[in-house]
Amino acid sequence: MLRLVLRNLLAHKTRSALTMCSMAFAVCLMCILQASLIGLESAVTNAAVNRLWIQSAVSLFVPLPMSYEAKIESVAGVEHACKFQWFGGIYQDESNFFAQFGIDPDSFQDCYPELEIVEGSYEAFAQNRRGCIIGEGLAEKYGFALGDTVPIIGTIFPRTGGGAWEFVVEAIYRPRTTAMDRVTMYFDFAYLEEALRAGDSRGAQGVGVFLAKLDDDADPTEAMGAIDGFFENGPQRVQTTTEAEFGRQFLSMLGNVPAMLAAVGGAVLFAIFFAVLNTMLAAGRERMRAVGILKAMGFRNGFVFSTLLVESLVLCTAGAAIGLGISIGLEGGLQSAFAGMIQSFEISSQVALGSLVIAIVIGTVAGIAPGRSAARVSTIQALRTQA
Amino acid sequence: MTENQIELRGVRRSYERGGERLDVLQGLDLTMATGSFHALMGPSGSGKTTLLNLIGGLDQPDAGEVFVCGEDLARLSNQELAQWRADHVGFVFQGFNLLPVLTARENVELPLQLTPLSRADRRAQAERALELVGLTERMTHKPSELSGGQEQRVAIARAIAMDPDLILADEPTGDLDRAAAEQVLELLGQLNRELGKTILMVTHDPAAAEHASHVVHLDKGRLESITKNPERVRSEA
Ligand SMILES: Nc1ncnc2c1ncn2[C@@H]1O[C@H](COP(=O)(O)OP(=O)(O)OP(=O)(O)O)[C@@H](O)[C@H]1O
Ligand SMILES: [Mg+2]
Repeated sequence: MLRLVLRNLLAHKTRSALTMCSMAFAVCLMCILQASLIGLESAVTNAAVNRLWIQSAVSLFVPLPMSYEAKIESVAGVEHACKFQWFGGIYQDESNFFAQFGIDPDSFQDCYPELEIVEGSYEAFAQNRRGCIIGEGLAEKYGFALGDTVPIIGTIFPRTGGGAWEFVVEAIYRPRTTAMDRVTMYFDFAYLEEALRAGDSRGAQGVGVFLAKLDDDADPTEAMGAIDGFFENGPQRVQTTTEAEFGRQFLSMLGNVPAMLAAVGGAVLFAIFFAVLNTMLAAGRERMRAVGILKAMGFRNGFVFSTLLVESLVLCTAGAAIGLGISIGLEGGLQSAFAGMIQSFEISSQVALGSLVIAIVIGTVAGIAPGRSAARVSTIQALRTQA
Repeated sequence: MTENQIELRGVRRSYERGGERLDVLQGLDLTMATGSFHALMGPSGSGKTTLLNLIGGLDQPDAGEVFVCGEDLARLSNQELAQWRADHVGFVFQGFNLLPVLTARENVELPLQLTPLSRADRRAQAERALELVGLTERMTHKPSELSGGQEQRVAIARAIAMDPDLILADEPTGDLDRAAAEQVLELLGQLNRELGKTILMVTHDPAAAEHASHVVHLDKGRLESITKNPERVRSEA
């Protein structure tokens, strides 16, 4: 039977190839979308429970006083507090997007046990005011090496004399989990602060966000309440969120992008389903005469049904396998292309398996329709259709 | 085995078409002895294919009895009929017979898949059948690479591959030129004489009917006449 199926597929090489291609394309697209969604959400799902993020209760764009760092640290359950200032600078060109944050070198490392230094040393970074520490993703993408000076044009904090900020790469990190991305630049907040005070840079003083690392045995909910309560009476009220919640806020800033990605994926699948169905219905129609001959010879209805079902399955799974192969081939390239936006882009076995299952479902449903009509048509009716 | 391969009694078959009833067979009786070679003639639309379908167990009569190869076909379920066809009947259909995507040998091998034969045995048997119809050279050709006459001979090879008792051939020479037709008819005659196959062949061609032992005329839903062809009647000799 398999031979008959393969011969039937080969009899219409172009049609089979086109259907297979569209399946391959759909599966490839689906894998990429799926991996992107998982990547976007992985920051949320892998968020640390013992890190809290503190921002102004008014808005993310209203800075908090610097003195809050010591106050936060004094709250029961908080082990360390660290400034986290979004810098929003541009490296050479706007299309080279990556995040930069001003942080406290003396508490940052304690807040992020995920941080693994792979080149240079954290101490060197802490000792150099103009030093910075970059993710290995940035080192790969832009070829930054230890000792390099990275010029960054300030947008929120433009230098008064014009020109770029200059940061020296002192260390390269690799995140141990996806709670942290591998494409961020961290620099010493003090460098920014001194420049602001000296009038070398424009921009607001203060700190956008504080990070609080809790004691291992602290209860995050209690600590959140305690921090919010501490600043209840000003000078500025704060809003404390868990890291997962903070990540979700970030995701929601993307608006409905994840939902849209999912919708696009669904629409593509739907279209492919009809393409496969169309192919299989055409195959079923032109196979009518053969169905009559087979049945007259004594082949059962189940046999003619299976020939069409198997044909559809072969078409779909072969297409899916090709698409999967392509998406795995593209994985590396996409990883660096998405580096600034998606923390961990990976065609996981879960994604691969999922798309194969969907291809099999499509193949089954698209094969059942012509298979059933072939099984149901009476032998003499089928024989009366001329090839 | 009964002496008569085919016995039809009072067979009726009508079709509904656009609310109109078309009585194709109107109380038809036919007896065919085992080992006979009948030619079935009649105008187009007279019900020749309909009759063949009933005898081959592809269709059921509205009324009447159909006994073929010792079996009352009305008593068989669809599944049993399929098995019965595989065991007893070889078909040569009107028009295209072969699956275009398979080679000649694969086409002949196809019905053998319904048997427990091994792959090698199926192949050997298909090759024997093709040898019998004189197409050993053309085994690996696709139908599109064969002439009309060769195609029909492959169809006959497929019909006899399962070693059936009965061969039903619907206008096997309809699309062939004289020489090719003669070859096919010789072949059928040979199967009848040498292998004892009972054959019912539809034809429009009186010259083709000459090869049969009996000629049956179908018109207006009944069998008009049965004439014997003395020099071809083997069983009565
Ligand atoms: N499934 C069907 N539904 C409706 N009408 C049918 C059906 N099968 C056959 N007929 C009609 O029954 C009549 C007899 O058909 P049949 O095919 O048996 O004729 P035939 O003698 O084989 O003709 P031909 O020599 O052209 O092959 C024709 O008028 C045909 O149109
Ligand atoms: Mg006919």
